[in-house]
Amino acid sequence: MIGSVAETIEAIERRIDELRVAVREAVLAGDTALATAQRAQLSRAEQAWEAELAAIAEPPRSAQLTQRARPAQFIEPAQPAQLTLPAQPAAPAGSLLPLREQVYEALSLLQVPAAPKLIATVHEAFFGSTFPTTRVTSLKRDEERSFRAAPFARPYYICAALSADYLAPSRGLLAVSTWPLERRMIGSLSPRVDFLTAAIRVAEAIERIPEPPSAARQLLQRFAQSIPGAMPGASTAPATVKPATVKDAAAAELTVHTDADDRARREAAERARQLKQPEQLFGTASFREIAREAGE
Amino acid sequence: MSQLTSLARLLAVETGRAQPTKTVRHVHLSDRPLVLVAAQLAGEACAPLGALIGDDRARPRLLVVYEPRDRTQRFAWAAAVAETVLGYIDGYAKEVPDQDPDPEARPETGTPKPEPAADAPQLLVPNPQTAGFLRLLGRSTRFRSTTGEYAVPEAVPLLGRWLTYYSERTEVTPSALLLQLTAVLADHWASGQSATEDVLLGALVGWIDPPPGLTGPQAARVAEDPVRCPPAGPVTDPGWDNDVLEPMIAAVRAATASGDAAALARVQTAMDGALWSQLRPTWDLTWQGIDLLRELPEAAHVAARWLDDRKSFTSTVAWIRQGGAPQPRRDGAVSAARRLARLEREQQRLAVERAFDDPLVLAEYRLTGEAFAGRVTWRAPDRLDQSGSRAVPRPLITLATEDEVIMDEGTVLKSPVRPRQKAVLTEILPPESPGGTTFVTLELTSGMGRGRTPQPGSIPAFGEELTYTSLSDDFQPPAKFPAREDTPWTHGGPPQEYVPTDDDAREDWS
Amino acid sequence: MTVGEPPSQPPGQPPGQPPRDPVEARLDFLRGRAMPVNHDARTISALAANPGCPRRALMDAAGVHKHEIAKHVGLPAPYGLSPFARSRGNAFEALVKDDSASLLLALLRQHIGLDIASAHYEDLSRVGAGESTNLRHARTRQKLLGADPGTHTMFDHPLLRLKVGGRYAFLEPDLLALHHSGRWYVVEVKSFAIIDGQADPEKVAAAAIQSAVYVHALRDLLGTDPSTGANLVHHETILVAPENFANKPAAAKLDVRKQLGVIRRQLNRIASVESLLDAYPEDLTFDLDPDPDGRPRRAPGELRGAVETVPANYAPECLATCELCFVCRDEARAHGDTGALGKKVREDLGGIETVPQALGLARGALAPAPEREEIAVKLRHAAQVWEQLTGQAV
Repeated sequence: MIGSVAETIEAIERRIDELRVAVREAVLAGDTALATAQRAQLSRAEQAWEAELAAIAEPPRSAQLTQRARPAQFIEPAQPAQLTLPAQPAAPAGSLLPLREQVYEALSLLQVPAAPKLIATVHEAFFGSTFPTTRVTSLKRDEERSFRAAPFARPYYICAALSADYLAPSRGLLAVSTWPLERRMIGSLSPRVDFLTAAIRVAEAIERIPEPPSAARQLLQRFAQSIPGAMPGASTAPATVKPATVKDAAAAELTVHTDADDRARREAAERARQLKQPEQLFGTASFREIAREAGE
Repeated sequence: MSQLTSLARLLAVETGRAQPTKTVRHVHLSDRPLVLVAAQLAGEACAPLGALIGDDRARPRLLVVYEPRDRTQRFAWAAAVAETVLGYIDGYAKEVPDQDPDPEARPETGTPKPEPAADAPQLLVPNPQTAGFLRLLGRSTRFRSTTGEYAVPEAVPLLGRWLTYYSERTEVTPSALLLQLTAVLADHWASGQSATEDVLLGALVGWIDPPPGLTGPQAARVAEDPVRCPPAGPVTDPGWDNDVLEPMIAAVRAATASGDAAALARVQTAMDGALWSQLRPTWDLTWQGIDLLRELPEAAHVAARWLDDRKSFTSTVAWIRQGGAPQPRRDGAVSAARRLARLEREQQRLAVERAFDDPLVLAEYRLTGEAFAGRVTWRAPDRLDQSGSRAVPRPLITLATEDEVIMDEGTVLKSPVRPRQKAVLTEILPPESPGGTTFVTLELTSGMGRGRTPQPGSIPAFGEELTYTSLSDDFQPPAKFPAREDTPWTHGGPPQEYVPTDDDAREDWS
Repeated sequence: MTVGEPPSQPPGQPPGQPPRDPVEARLDFLRGRAMPVNHDARTISALAANPGCPRRALMDAAGVHKHEIAKHVGLPAPYGLSPFARSRGNAFEALVKDDSASLLLALLRQHIGLDIASAHYEDLSRVGAGESTNLRHARTRQKLLGADPGTHTMFDHPLLRLKVGGRYAFLEPDLLALHHSGRWYVVEVKSFAIIDGQADPEKVAAAAIQSAVYVHALRDLLGTDPSTGANLVHHETILVAPENFANKPAAAKLDVRKQLGVIRRQLNRIASVESLLDAYPEDLTFDLDPDPDGRPRRAPGELRGAVETVPANYAPECLATCELCFVCRDEARAHGDTGALGKKVREDLGGIETVPQALGLARGALAPAPEREEIAVKLRHAAQVWEQLTGQAV
């Protein structure tokens, strides 16, 4: 159907409103066929609107637009703050390394298994560039596929951390294949132990930099918030968090947990050594084990 | 205390239209109120999405936040709201002259209060949820700093202080400075639905003033459909959020990230239109409600209560001019108790004034036994009390009433017709059978002028129809509370002075 | 086109199997061919809101999809969560549980006094895509029953089970915390804000009753301390919510003893669904008779008739808690039910059930029953006063 070029933009807007109501009503009535048909019409109307607007709008002289096609009822306030693009911070130069190498960099700083969000934050804070966490979560799957295709072909793999009880891949955690097996076991105290250890590593990394970027300071503050004694004083500003204080506080709590945690990890590593590859790197998917344990 | 209102609801059900439950309007209605209709992002404490603001129904100002989670845009929006709201308030504030402390003022009364402004700005919102939104907006802006790392535009903390003032005033006294339309409408009309359903502005207005061709319940049914009648806000319809808003906000983010100014402008225009479509129907309904209220004559005591509001506004203007510090987050224990006591007193005063202003309100008290209506059947107008040094008039009157009278002898009564006159109940002669006539004798003890002879007209005449009530608006001295610095330790000790800190300026508003 | 006939025998009864519990069979028949809707904490809490409604009690016991019924009858109630509220809720919960629940641990240390060594964390969420609900619950059972305060502290995403009216409800509290004294705490994460120490009372009340459901279910599993007889699960639950306008989590304790009493009573009432069933014909069903594409074929009027066979107890409170509310409201209004106007109005009318009755008494056109004489006099008086003052006849 040839679009009605002569239709004014206001008429298109009215048609769009009517179609929106029609779609909503069809959905509420449970009429999926009608809803689909109406949605298609709505989509065509919206495209016609875009085309019409592009045809009549002046190309913007600068990012400032003060005249817009708006119904006459609106009062025109001067709202430049909403019409300009928000000031973009100087975007950090994108890293030239492939994702797996960036993840390796971050994990090597932390030295403990970590979740994608923390990995991305650490990389942004200390290596100058970040990546969306969704890419990181699919990395583990890609690494497993690559390993299965050619085992040990690469010097390291980004792999899983294993739960101490079922040796299943610990949800959301990534680790490095070249680490000692114990480090990749997750007992019940391990999340806390790894958190405290990561805090110490981050604090040390900050101490090595003369002018730590604010992202690094904010990361340290995030750790300090949940370590007793890491944030003396009432103020919570990132600038006041001291790496030395965080290290001391984290180390103090660690002394309470490390014996029990080490034991659990060693015992789990013994069992994990019986696994074949790729299960040892990427975890088991066995439900038989779980079912037996649960007494089903 | 609502039997008449419940009866009125029954009539509304039967007739299909709301029934007026008041003969007069018990709130002040400005000639030019500032109406605010707002929308906020679901799930957040106070994440503004947009607002329609104006004192002229034909010229609302639309203010939209295109990225509701962006702090800068939020404060820019707040600054634009401030421009409109403060501009409106200034129109009244500029009539308040600057006050120099009077050197002849008595020290014990402190600085004399300035002359109250001739009129005060009145804010009007569709419903209590919008009032809550304004309160939170005030709370989230009044502590902000205008300098330093987290600076906000100057007008923003000032807006916060004013919004907090408006919100807090209703907590200490039944004020008309900030009106919530659904509450006021529900006070003056009884619909044929439940009080829960009256909270929906469209449904309530539909019962009171349905469009031609529809009954009240039919109009209310239309109003309940969020597709045809968007909710009055500030919470938006989840269906609209899903279908319309979410894709638009995603498009804003995409355009911003890609730096495409033309695409950004287009989606901003689209978002303006979308917010307009959600807010405009509520805007229209609010002005429709205002029109309905204007048709009622103003109650007699409204002007006096508005004077109190004007005085309060005037003091607030003076305080703000002196750079008043923002209101602290929580009350000290003493001020909280003081506020509560004051509010109770004011509400009691309001109840009495409403009863005296409106026979339908007074009639509710007749049904609970706190009032009765009757006709004078006997009088002893010349009776005197000679026991003291001077003889004073103490006339007696007897009224016949079909109302149930369950008051004790000695109760002090008043009638709206002679509000200054006290009448003491001296005798009740109950009816012979239920539903029969009760005879009540009253002794008049005041309101007859000075001297032995009562003023003409100050004693009810034979056959005069009168309503007497035990409600009283006599002045009661305020309860005694310890000074702030003497707050007992059981209540947390003396509160600390509020000192603005960097944390307040920096406080997240995500 | 034939009008859909309700199924003539209980569906889903595989041949050669031992006969099922007759009550369960009847409930299945009542529900029809649709899959049962399972209870969750929200539906159980809603039951506490309107305990005296046979229609709801029966439908919930049978796992009927009330929204589908209401839609097909033509009176759907608008329900749904905004995508922004949902994403905000998810984002806040993710924040609280981030970094191995470190912020949550800090709050728990502060509010229930965990000692430093109590920092264990177990994740009981689904192990793999294929794990069944029953299996996951069995795993949770085993872990919780075997938990030792010296080596267990936080249990994330546990799956509890509670029998409600003959059907299992699976309940997923946000987190359970085991104190070193052996006491268990239920933790609920919500995304409404606590501003200056205060939160929306309605939302807090809803959170309280929801967490009470979890306490009840957990007590059902863990029981009492054998030596002291005290409940192992504490009656105080921990609410975690954002503080002021930011995302920073704060915690508050909720005492849910009152709510626990209400829930216990309501669940006991539901357990007697069998006696409720006896009141209705055996061939009663709410089946929608779907066609091969899933579209209901049952005549809406007939479905409505079936629904109305079981009386409801409509009150305006239903509008916030039950997907059937517009159907029951329509029915109540058609009968002139004064309850539809709210509790206070009913009370003002001395309990008179219908609008025509009340108006008739007020007009003096109806003679009152002996127990209604007092209210009739009051209503007549009110009507007279109204006429005097408004000039309109009642």
